[in-house]
Amino acid sequence: MTQQIELSGVNKYYGAYHALKDIELSIPKGAFVALVGPSGCGKSTLLRSLAGLETISSGDLMIAGERMNDVPPRRRDLAMVFQSYALYPHMTVEQNLTYSLKIRGVKKAEAKKAAADVAAITGLSDLLHRYPRELSGGQRQRVAMSRAIIRHPKAFLFDEPLSNLDAALRVHMRKEIRALHDRLGATSVYVTHDQVEAMTMADHVVIMRSGVIEQQGPPLELYDRPANRFVAGFIGSPAMNFIPAKSGRDGKSLVLDLPGSQVLDLDLGLPPGHAVLVGIRPEHLAIAAQDMPGFEVPIATIESTGATTFVTTATAPEIVLVLNSRSTLAAGAMIRLTFAPENVHLFDAKTEKRLATKP
Amino acid sequence: MRRIFASVRDGRGFDIMLVGVPFTFLFALAGLPLIYNILMSFQEVDMFSLGSFIRPFVGFDNYVALFKQPETIPILTNTVVFVVGSIAGQFLLGFGLALFFWTNFPGASWLRGLFLVSWVMPGLVVGAIWNWILSGDFGVLNFFLRESGLIDGNIFWRSDPDFSLWAVVIANIWLGTSFNMILLSVGLSAIPGDLYEAAEMDGANAWQRFWTITLPMMRSTIGAIISLGLIFTLQQFDLFAAITDGGPNNSSNVAQYWAWDLSFRQYDFGRGATISVIMTVFVMFAAAVYVRSTRHEVRG
Repeated sequence: MTQQIELSGVNKYYGAYHALKDIELSIPKGAFVALVGPSGCGKSTLLRSLAGLETISSGDLMIAGERMNDVPPRRRDLAMVFQSYALYPHMTVEQNLTYSLKIRGVKKAEAKKAAADVAAITGLSDLLHRYPRELSGGQRQRVAMSRAIIRHPKAFLFDEPLSNLDAALRVHMRKEIRALHDRLGATSVYVTHDQVEAMTMADHVVIMRSGVIEQQGPPLELYDRPANRFVAGFIGSPAMNFIPAKSGRDGKSLVLDLPGSQVLDLDLGLPPGHAVLVGIRPEHLAIAAQDMPGFEVPIATIESTGATTFVTTATAPEIVLVLNSRSTLAAGAMIRLTFAPENVHLFDAKTEKRLATKP
Repeated sequence: MRRIFASVRDGRGFDIMLVGVPFTFLFALAGLPLIYNILMSFQEVDMFSLGSFIRPFVGFDNYVALFKQPETIPILTNTVVFVVGSIAGQFLLGFGLALFFWTNFPGASWLRGLFLVSWVMPGLVVGAIWNWILSGDFGVLNFFLRESGLIDGNIFWRSDPDFSLWAVVIANIWLGTSFNMILLSVGLSAIPGDLYEAAEMDGANAWQRFWTITLPMMRSTIGAIISLGLIFTLQQFDLFAAITDGGPNNSSNVAQYWAWDLSFRQYDFGRGATISVIMTVFVMFAAAVYVRSTRHEVRG
């Protein structure tokens, strides 16, 4: 498959601050890639470096097979949708859409037709002669998208495009952007801090922290096999539970660092006394009958949204579990928690890297 | 009584008071003199009738007589040249400087602040300094022009009728440039940076970004600065008093200076008032443009 965007060994410094560290990233043609991570992780810097709005300090940046390190943004043929939308306030919607065509010297009639075509796709046909200040947030968002679409660029760059919309519209636009991407057969790079957006929209998710790519891959792979504790905690909501533990004397069990030194029978082939973190997602925990294997914990709080019930335990660290049913449990009661062994993620307590569980 | 008091404290009376106080102030200190000025332009006023309101009404005689004077047209022409020359110079230099400081090199905001020194100086002081700079025999401007080979002999800026008006224009440009620069800098910094990034992604080069983003986004600021410039230039008096005194032979005389000269040196108050009325019409026009352009501000 041809690579539309390829980054190898990319570094970016702001003075002494190392903003991007040895970024390796290949984006095939037609892919939808999400860059996700907490604020300050470098995801926006990476996107702006792709756009050319920031220059990279070292490494290679290839777009459609051409080295673009020192090419100014206007020659990169990429379209960007800004978080603020950055619509030209002194131009009508139509003028906003045709701006890039006008700059390129496309004839007026042709540009108008292109604007009408794009507006028909994005549902802006009735708004072409309005000014941005006369539009709602969602409509402005569509204008920003249309302005990108009309150019048929080599790739679309999205910089948190939905963060200024309300929750319901955000969910709606999420689907719309993905549908548009598929319809246009475009290549998209999408920056967000919202892991749900990344998981639901992208084919390939890149998780970043402090300028480093922590893990990248298909969304479900990140969910199923997080490479380290950070990724495990970042993907999934509510976040994964981490329980400190030590491998037992025989190496075939784990002693949980919870009241009562509860023991789990798990053969991990670890040397005795090795400190680990046991990661279990809240949705993978279940309440077991008294005689079943598991471990006992007291309940601290119970919150119900109707469809699901969140149970938080009175342990340190606290453990959260999600039940897809109503519960008659009360705070203070003891419950026995259980889980399927294949749903356990083990991380080294020191390096926080994933430990290979023995098959 | 109590009802009136309550109304003033909290109600329609309060609203009326809020409008009434500034209105009274404006009417007493700006409105009345303006009306009195217009009234005088239709009366025959001399030293002896100065103390009374009731004076012989002469209709448009003052206006007719004024335009029969041979110096009227040259002086009005001078006024136009002075206004257009000053505004053009102040605006172009101010915009150039604003764009220069906008690049935000280290120390830019400091230097920009220092530029305001010219604006805080009293016009008479500026005039005195420019008298030395423009001086024909030992002036530093002549020195530079001569040394750079632009002129052969000295130009007597203040006493040569071909240059006297321009001497004041140069001083006035120097005086007003920094004010233009500051207002235009504010306008420039109000343009969101991501518009330029979006335009850059859309393929526009620096020149195209200037014409399609900067200038249209500055429309209201430019409209405001030019109308304010018109008002300030028509007010400029100190520099004429300090540099040329309107001379030689009215070659650097302008309407505002002439109005003062007629009223307070020749004691022809009627004609002085007539010129003021003509100028008021122009300033009102500028004020209307100013109000319009600030109302048309583009917001994102």
